[in-house]
Amino acid sequence: MKRLTEVEIQSFLESLESRYDVWIPVRLQDGTRSLGRLGDGPLALAGGALPHKPTGMFFPQMDVILSLRGKAIQAPAPLEKPLLVVGFTAEDLDCLAFIDRFYGENFRDTAYFSKRENAVTVAVTGRCGKDGRTLKVSSGNCDVEFVCDGQGYLLVAHSDIGKALVGGTLGGRETPGEQLDAIRSEVDADSGEDHALLERASKLLLADKVPDAFWEQIANRCIACTSCNLVCPTCTCFDVFDRKDDDRDERWRMWDSCQLDGFMREASGHNPMGKEATRTRRRIHHKLGADPRRWGQITCMLCGRCDDACPTGIGIKSVSREIVAKYGSS
Amino acid sequence: MFFLVVGDDGRLVGVEPSSEHVVAQGRLCVKGWNAHHFVNHPDRLTRPLIRRNGTLEPVSWDEALDLVVSRLGAIQAAHGPDSVAFFSSAKTTNEENYLMMKLARAVFKTNNVDHCARLCHSSTVLGLAATFGSGAMTNSISCMEQADCILVIGSNTTEQHPLIGTRILQSKTKRGAKLIVADNRRIRLACIADLHIRCKNGTDVAFLNGLMHVIISEGLEDKEFVQNRTENYDPLKKVIADYPPEKAAQICGITPDEIVQAARMFAGADKAMIVYSMGITQHTHGVDNVKSCANLAMLTGNIGRPGTGVNPLRGQNNVQGACDVGALPNVFTGYQSVADPAVRTRFEKAWGVQNLPDKVGLTVTTAIDAAAEGRLKALYIMGENPMMSDPDQNHVRKALEHLDFLVVQDIFPTPTTEFAHVVLPAVSYAEKDGTFTSTERRVQRVRKAIEPVGQSRADWEILCDIAKRAGYDHMQYGSVAEILDEIAGVTPIYGGMSFDRIDQVGLQWPCPDKQHPGTPILHTSQFTRGLGAFSPVEYRPSQELPDDEYPFVLSTGRCYFHFHTGTMTRRSQLLHREERFPYVEISPKDARSLKIPDRSWVYVSTRRGEVKAMARVTEVAHDGVLFMPFHFEEGPANRLTINALDPVAKIPEYKVCAAKIRSAR
Repeated sequence: MKRLTEVEIQSFLESLESRYDVWIPVRLQDGTRSLGRLGDGPLALAGGALPHKPTGMFFPQMDVILSLRGKAIQAPAPLEKPLLVVGFTAEDLDCLAFIDRFYGENFRDTAYFSKRENAVTVAVTGRCGKDGRTLKVSSGNCDVEFVCDGQGYLLVAHSDIGKALVGGTLGGRETPGEQLDAIRSEVDADSGEDHALLERASKLLLADKVPDAFWEQIANRCIACTSCNLVCPTCTCFDVFDRKDDDRDERWRMWDSCQLDGFMREASGHNPMGKEATRTRRRIHHKLGADPRRWGQITCMLCGRCDDACPTGIGIKSVSREIVAKYGSS
Repeated sequence: MFFLVVGDDGRLVGVEPSSEHVVAQGRLCVKGWNAHHFVNHPDRLTRPLIRRNGTLEPVSWDEALDLVVSRLGAIQAAHGPDSVAFFSSAKTTNEENYLMMKLARAVFKTNNVDHCARLCHSSTVLGLAATFGSGAMTNSISCMEQADCILVIGSNTTEQHPLIGTRILQSKTKRGAKLIVADNRRIRLACIADLHIRCKNGTDVAFLNGLMHVIISEGLEDKEFVQNRTENYDPLKKVIADYPPEKAAQICGITPDEIVQAARMFAGADKAMIVYSMGITQHTHGVDNVKSCANLAMLTGNIGRPGTGVNPLRGQNNVQGACDVGALPNVFTGYQSVADPAVRTRFEKAWGVQNLPDKVGLTVTTAIDAAAEGRLKALYIMGENPMMSDPDQNHVRKALEHLDFLVVQDIFPTPTTEFAHVVLPAVSYAEKDGTFTSTERRVQRVRKAIEPVGQSRADWEILCDIAKRAGYDHMQYGSVAEILDEIAGVTPIYGGMSFDRIDQVGLQWPCPDKQHPGTPILHTSQFTRGLGAFSPVEYRPSQELPDDEYPFVLSTGRCYFHFHTGTMTRRSQLLHREERFPYVEISPKDARSLKIPDRSWVYVSTRRGEVKAMARVTEVAHDGVLFMPFHFEEGPANRLTINALDPVAKIPEYKVCAAKIRSAR
């Protein structure tokens, strides 16, 4: 197994640019980490989950889904090169696996797969989390993984494409495979506890143990900023709008939020989703109650983004904690 | 606070919050998440336009700018320098506001320059300058997280300053800080407040005097602070003596006990903070309201420490900065008076001109009056929309129609451009560099993300071009950074500002020199004016109160999803979807008695006009009070508002006028 330095990773990725549209974590002016192209900023692999969900590369905030020139309907031009996206955490990959299912089963979402198909996914895990934490090593559901061992990054190929890419890497030092197992075993114990927390909250919701008054209280703390939805890698809802641009009309889609009244409001003005309390309930219930029934899994993978982005402390983990604390004993 | 995401075709396709910025901390409100949307909207103005035979026709930049310079020159030659006025913009950068006022003063020799701070916080600038010596938020946003008690008065903070509102909300829910909400509407913060006090609109002075009466009579004042840091206490005591809780409560329409409880809660806290916004400022007694807030803070020693202060929340992205850099008719940059000969001499030297005007100019509101009366002949408006934002729309229409020459520089067509003789297409914030100053006095960068749309140009480039065409050589710059350097050179409170220093998270003024770290909290050891001056004020009723014919109070303001006159947010898909129609809030009791169902169309009328809007029957509204946001062209609330001004600040009384409502069915 090879171990690369950041500089060598940069060279490795540069060598792929002729074949792939390469996106990596970079540091913006004020230090915020974000996905950018090589050269957009200094490499920022370490630091844990990117604030902006990397699944957004396949389902961006705004995207043209078709355009109309005269009477001819045109699909967006296919990508010139497939995407190669670096920066998934293990949790992000679980999210990606879910939205692959969501957009792929029953009805295949062509806009999503026009970007997702042939894309190469690269995880960054190991001893490079925020504040010295170790990030969970992936279950192998990506093409390539950079596993930080504290000094460099072990280069692990999971898929055939990944193996082909890694096989061509120049430089780096060979390092024994036991290193990987050592890192795998030291992952934060919190994540196990957090999973148990979600499971318990999910059971309480499904057993209808959480009263309306609880949701009223949570709703009073919601300012409808929509961040929880927009940062969530398993939120898949979008709104559609049309826009004129010079010689064509374009149909766009953009991220939407179930925390907005207009999300479900009928033309009459009536909203079957009711008021803020029911909207707030829906957000949590969807991931912890409805999705387990529909998809057989809780669809919060504990990426942590909604808890970070919520300005009033009612991300899914915080709410689950309150649910379990208040109603868990009965 | 956020980064723009640019697509490969050069159009904006999203935003990313800044996770490192001290204020944003990875968070955004709904408007932030949609801040990119309007920028590439097809309605953008992309070419200069000149009105010919009643129609705006595209022309070249040369033709448009030459016409602007020649017409303004000719009008001034015929009617004098003060026949022309300039409206600057709280949406544009510090550099652009600076150049607009430099253009007005150095090139066109008039102090007729102002901007929409007149309509929101002019009473703050004057009220706090009189009491503290500095008319800005005394503390920092982070101080919200340290207060033991927060009095939110006339601010719907979670909707209008959401990231600040959430800090207040968290202080209450997480830290257990006391929260007093003094607001007629049952806003979100009111739902979690320890005390929600629903005074009649426009009775804030009586309420605050009542609080101070209780504090003094129960000996809860901070005697040491009053003794050492303030002056003029005896006259305050004398006035306050006349506001026992029973009397104050009667004026306010609340119980004496509410006043007593609020007074004890506020005065009993170690660190108590006042947060206010337009519920305080937009009155014919706006300055009095502000002074009352300042009096209460000084009386309880809540100034100059973390978690305290008088904190007016400024609304637009750069309304603080537009004031700071002198887009006001009475001051140059840094609030240096135009009446002071030494100040004028300094600016004459810096700008290479002579005879800068010494007479205080017209305000946004008085300029409209002057135009309506034919005293003002030409108006150059940059990024403002008085047809929607100023009181009494029919009066504004008359004023704009009377003008011999109107230039409007903006990014979209607006109801105001309909009256323009020349329309100049400017770029949005996403297409230019510069600085904005936030409500906590933080000067910070805005960076160009995309190329200008169409032939549009940055406001600063347009202004420099006009100055050059008018024959003035001292307004040419290689970059925006040079303009900020010039501002720093003539502005003591901005002395230490430069692009380099503010690159990451900005700096809070006063920042007098290049080594100064900035000032998170004002008045720590002494007030800007030395001692804090108590300014006792008597309660004065609002100009137009309900009567038999117009039995409701109409109060106007904003909603969560739209910004100001709606030119940008109504062109943003999700924001527009959330609030699509002009609406009026009415209490369930009033709606029942008038048989007005929720979401039915109604007419709201005042002595100025009538507007059709959708009824929103809600517990948020107080009985007897109607609330309307002013964002909607098709139902403009400002057709109804009264053009009654605070005598000093000239701010209109947007919060109170008499109205009636009837079903449109």
